Amino acid sequence: MEVLREKVEEEEEAEREEAAERAERAEKTMRPVEVRTEEAPLTPEMLRDLEKKLSEIETPASEEPPVITKDTIDISSLPLSYKTNTPKEEHLLQVADDFSRQYSHLCPDRVPLFLYPLNECEVPKFVSTTIRPTLLPYPDLYNWDGCAQFVSDFLTMVPLPNPLRPLVKRRERALSKKYTVKPPRDLSSKFEQEQEIKKQREIRAQEQKRLREEEERLLEAEKAKPDPLHGLRVHSWVLVLSGKREVPETFFIDPLTARSYSTQDDRFLGIESIWNHKNYWINMQDCWNCCKDLVFDLGDPVRWEFMLLGTDKPKLSLTEEDDNGMNDEDDVENLGKEDEDKSFDVPHSWVEQIEISPEAFETRCPNGKKVIQYKRAKLEKWAPYLNSNGLVCRLTTYEDLEWTETLEVKEWYQNREDRLELKHINKTTGLNIDYFKPGHPQALRVHSYKSMQPEMDRVMEFYETTRVDGLMKREETATTMTEHYQGRPDFLSYRHITFGPRVKKLALKSAESNPRPIVKITERFLRNSAKPADEDVAERVFLIGEERIQLRYHCRDDHITASKREYLRRTEVDSKGNKIIMTPDMCISFEVEPMEHTKKLLYQYQDMMHLKNEEKVSRHLAWESELEVLEILKLREEEEEAHTLTVSIYDTRRNEKSKEYRETMERVMHEEQLQQVEAQLDYLAPFLAQLPPGEKLTHWQAVCLKDECLSDFKQRLIDKANLIQARFEKETQELQKKQQWYQENQVTLTPEDEDLYLSYCSQAVFRIRILEQRLNRHKELAPLKYLALEKKLYKDPRLVELLKVFA
Amino acid sequence: MNHLHDSMEPRVMDDDMLKLAVGEQGPQEEAGQLAKQEGILFKDVLSLQLDFQNILRIDNLWQFENLRKLQLDNNIIERIEGLENLTHLVWLDLSFNNIEAIEGLDTLVNLEDLSLFSNRISKIDALDALVKLQVLSLGNNQISNMMNIIYLRQFKYLRTLSLSGNPISEAEDYKMFICAYLPDLVYLDFRRISDDTKELAEAKHQYGIDELKHRESLMQARLEDEQARREELQKHKAAFVEHLNGSFLFDSMYTEDVEGKKLSYLPGVSELLEAYKDKFVIICLNIFEYGLKQHEKRKTELDTFNECVHEAIQENQEQGKHRIAKFEEKYLLSLNTIREESEVPTIEKKIMECGEDITELFNALMTLEMQLVEQLEETINLFERNIIDLVGLFIENVQSLMAQCRDLENHHHEKLLEISINTLEKNVKGELDEDLPDDVRLVSALFVDKDTIINAVGASHDIHLLKIDNREDELVTRINSWCTHLVDKIHRDETTRNRERVKEISQYVDHMQSELDNLEYGDILD
Repeated sequence: MEVLREKVEEEEEAEREEAAERAERAEKTMRPVEVRTEEAPLTPEMLRDLEKKLSEIETPASEEPPVITKDTIDISSLPLSYKTNTPKEEHLLQVADDFSRQYSHLCPDRVPLFLYPLNECEVPKFVSTTIRPTLLPYPDLYNWDGCAQFVSDFLTMVPLPNPLRPLVKRRERALSKKYTVKPPRDLSSKFEQEQEIKKQREIRAQEQKRLREEEERLLEAEKAKPDPLHGLRVHSWVLVLSGKREVPETFFIDPLTARSYSTQDDRFLGIESIWNHKNYWINMQDCWNCCKDLVFDLGDPVRWEFMLLGTDKPKLSLTEEDDNGMNDEDDVENLGKEDEDKSFDVPHSWVEQIEISPEAFETRCPNGKKVIQYKRAKLEKWAPYLNSNGLVCRLTTYEDLEWTETLEVKEWYQNREDRLELKHINKTTGLNIDYFKPGHPQALRVHSYKSMQPEMDRVMEFYETTRVDGLMKREETATTMTEHYQGRPDFLSYRHITFGPRVKKLALKSAESNPRPIVKITERFLRNSAKPADEDVAERVFLIGEERIQLRYHCRDDHITASKREYLRRTEVDSKGNKIIMTPDMCISFEVEPMEHTKKLLYQYQDMMHLKNEEKVSRHLAWESELEVLEILKLREEEEEAHTLTVSIYDTRRNEKSKEYRETMERVMHEEQLQQVEAQLDYLAPFLAQLPPGEKLTHWQAVCLKDECLSDFKQRLIDKANLIQARFEKETQELQKKQQWYQENQVTLTPEDEDLYLSYCSQAVFRIRILEQRLNRHKELAPLKYLALEKKLYKDPRLVELLKVFA
Repeated sequence: MNHLHDSMEPRVMDDDMLKLAVGEQGPQEEAGQLAKQEGILFKDVLSLQLDFQNILRIDNLWQFENLRKLQLDNNIIERIEGLENLTHLVWLDLSFNNIEAIEGLDTLVNLEDLSLFSNRISKIDALDALVKLQVLSLGNNQISNMMNIIYLRQFKYLRTLSLSGNPISEAEDYKMFICAYLPDLVYLDFRRISDDTKELAEAKHQYGIDELKHRESLMQARLEDEQARREELQKHKAAFVEHLNGSFLFDSMYTEDVEGKKLSYLPGVSELLEAYKDKFVIICLNIFEYGLKQHEKRKTELDTFNECVHEAIQENQEQGKHRIAKFEEKYLLSLNTIREESEVPTIEKKIMECGEDITELFNALMTLEMQLVEQLEETINLFERNIIDLVGLFIENVQSLMAQCRDLENHHHEKLLEISINTLEKNVKGELDEDLPDDVRLVSALFVDKDTIINAVGASHDIHLLKIDNREDELVTRINSWCTHLVDKIHRDETTRNRERVKEISQYVDHMQSELDNLEYGDILD
């Protein structure tokens, strides 16, 4: 079955999305889509309700009223095709109506057909025309499973009133039941097998059986009473026919759950009719054995009564048909047999092409949030970036059916900067396990803990390849710390530290400054093949309190005993008060093959000194490990606090930097454009405005226009020159006045005033010079500008023809 | 350069000098006290410095078998000698001496750094054993021939070379030549060689280098060829069928057969001989192929056996290790309780218990070992039977093939005899002389009478048979001795293994027991 699921026609996906977005349009498949209407009460309202059901989730037995995020459709903004029927559609509706009447006449016992429901604008539309095959640009939607998942995510279920007895919720409950019931016979057979295997097991099995029976009984009790609406419920779903896109077997898809079902499934009781965007078929086969015996050969007119003698009627064939749209052979055949009048094409769909924006696609569910409720479990989904802490999915399992006792919570995160991927909280044991993706600043992979306080039970696993020290795992209990390493050049693979009770210091500062005393450090090393086994330490134990160091060496390949050595590194003083450096009893050793040089005190002394240093190093490392734990815990707390999210550099929408950059670019572009527009100011516009609009220019008018424009420009140039001249003169006069004033009052002036005067003078001179320059420049440029404008006017598209003739 | 010492008496490297040096250069402070107390064995010394001692002759160093670094600079040594035992030597300094030739370094395969600075050496030579050589200092010597550089090409790890102060360093092309011919060199005369220089040098000497490389590669190819041939022959020898993949045996039959060669000139004999050779070679080839196949079979048999034995031993060892680990765990706990216990009777009881544990461990380990011995014995016997069967089958088949060879020979002999007699008859009748070529005339000495010719043919036949017999005997003897040796070795190995294990177990148990006794003793003292 898995294989089958893989591919379905593209159109199907397309339809699905459409179906998702527009509630009324049921389902369409390029391949046949079927809707089964199993039930009788057939008012149009009912039908609409049924359709609506697709877009709304029924929340089974939930206490609070379901939040219905129903889009109120603004009818006025819809295109005309939604509000009216074309003559062809009218004709089609008529055909459908005839068909329906004939059908109810011939099959009075059967449910009336679902042929032309009202759309959102209360206009009847033939169902096939509600389908418009569309290919969307998302690879996820190319195959049926991704597509179905999207549709099911997009739909929200809302409970319907009971059509028989209003306001009964039973039927929804029945719907949700589908997922939970286990077939009990499986269990009993298992039990029987077990019973036969062993006598001892039998007792256990019996116990189990009893328990299971109990469970079963409970299950039975939980199970709803026999459904009074059994077999009366109408539902619509998607049928995917085998053949195209390597679909080997026909199957159903339930749009609400996005699951596929075999046509043999017991829960599909029968099919009334099916349709796609081209035709409508009525099932004429007996559904006494659910859908198991149905033959899905739509070309067989005995089994499937078609409504339209369409061009796309699937071949009646034994082989797998591959009817890509048209099938000419069939057409000819059909045309020969039947009246030509009857053949009628379904008009093009009146529905607008579906469009799903990337945002909507990413958001998936309405408002980006969706809750699916299972028996004893609840699954919540959110769109990425919707929650500020990156939460995208949460699965809560409960002990009981009422959802009061939480068993465990699993939370999935996405795009977290701290690379947190999954948080697993076991409520009964209080154990939290955090899983991280590669890339945490401390290379954390898994962190399981009951409390964030240090020196408690805790296991941290790391991505050892990203750590310099090759640490793989660090386990802690209240008094020990165990570290596992891998791939170290010193072959260390294991370090176990036992702490003693903390000594209370008078000058207490904090846990950091008063580390727990280390009682024992055990280190194990892997075999270093470069050394002989007798010199390669396998395990060394520093008994710090007892001042002892125990060494165990690796075992030789062909031996079963390994060398051992123990140093008592007590410093003692002999009878004369001299310090004893080394005596034979300070080293007890067992050597597999006694060596000469190791008996030497010198060797032993050097070895012991070396080990003393090593002990110091190990103690320091142990202390560093403790610090690191504190650091990680602190970091984790900070991360939880901040829960920053990362944005991919390819995500142009969310990436602030790229957004800024883009906006700047846009602004610059815009400004450039403005400048360009300015540069292309229309000189003629004010003059053209004076002329009566809409009339063609005459030659005379054109000449006038040109002259006027030029003279105007000339005037403006002169004005500008005059203006500069005026300013120049004014500036000069003022300067002269000032100079005069200065000469008159020179004697009485304070130094400050003099400074002011001087600075004014220099500025004024500067201004005058600039004005002079501008004037000169203007004088130089003015004739050129004039000529340029003249040239331009001669080339102006509005004048060019007229001026040329007589030019 | 050693004028300073010229005035002094040359000194002899005697025990006193060495001891003094070792003591001075050995561990200091606390460790030094210990060292003094115990004395230092020469073989534990890793580094020794004997400079400015006016030493004339290197001597008495044979005990320093673990020496890594030896400094003998600034003496008046004239010959490199007495260093044969110092195979771990990595660093050897013989600078500022009076050495005239490089010698006596053939065993120092680990040497990486050799200094012969300021000596009287005129030729770079006798360094072939120093495959790890990285640094070579030969400055201030009398090397005058540039071709000495070529000799250094064989040292793949040579990175540092100093040759300044030699006559060759006066040469105009000195640096370029060395850079070109020793492209892996990094430092020359204490200076880093720049990449530019290398490129330049390479370009300059390209022609010479290419030619040299070509010669070297030819030599290399020849060596490899030879090696491959040797290996091939070795393989054939291991299968006991060497030289049977051709006409070698046939040819050898005729190399010593003077008569046969003469007879081959008789009319019709050469054709006969040709056919005979073909058939004979085919049989030889059969033997060869069969031999290789059988060899493979024996090898597989042996491998399977070894694997099985290895696995059995491994498993047994694991069990033993497990036992010991369990025992030690318990023993450690008991020891701790004994240490903490104050009641003498309880202590005694505990110690008793420990003693019992040790005995139990001993028994368990010995039982395991006995089991293994039995298992292995059975397997070894089975293998022995199988391999002897295989060898027997091989011998039998080879013998039957060899018998075919003999048949061929007999057949050939008869034919030859017939031809010979015919020819003799013709000769007697005088019909022969005219149409026989000159070669045959040489043979005519044989055609005196019937006995002579029969004797000649018979002698040839005997030689041939002898050759075949010899080859067969050789094969059979060798394979039999191989088989005996193999079986012996397996038995011997197993016995050794068993003894080693028993020794190991008792040693361990003794150790534990004595530890326990000590504890007892210590406790009583307390």
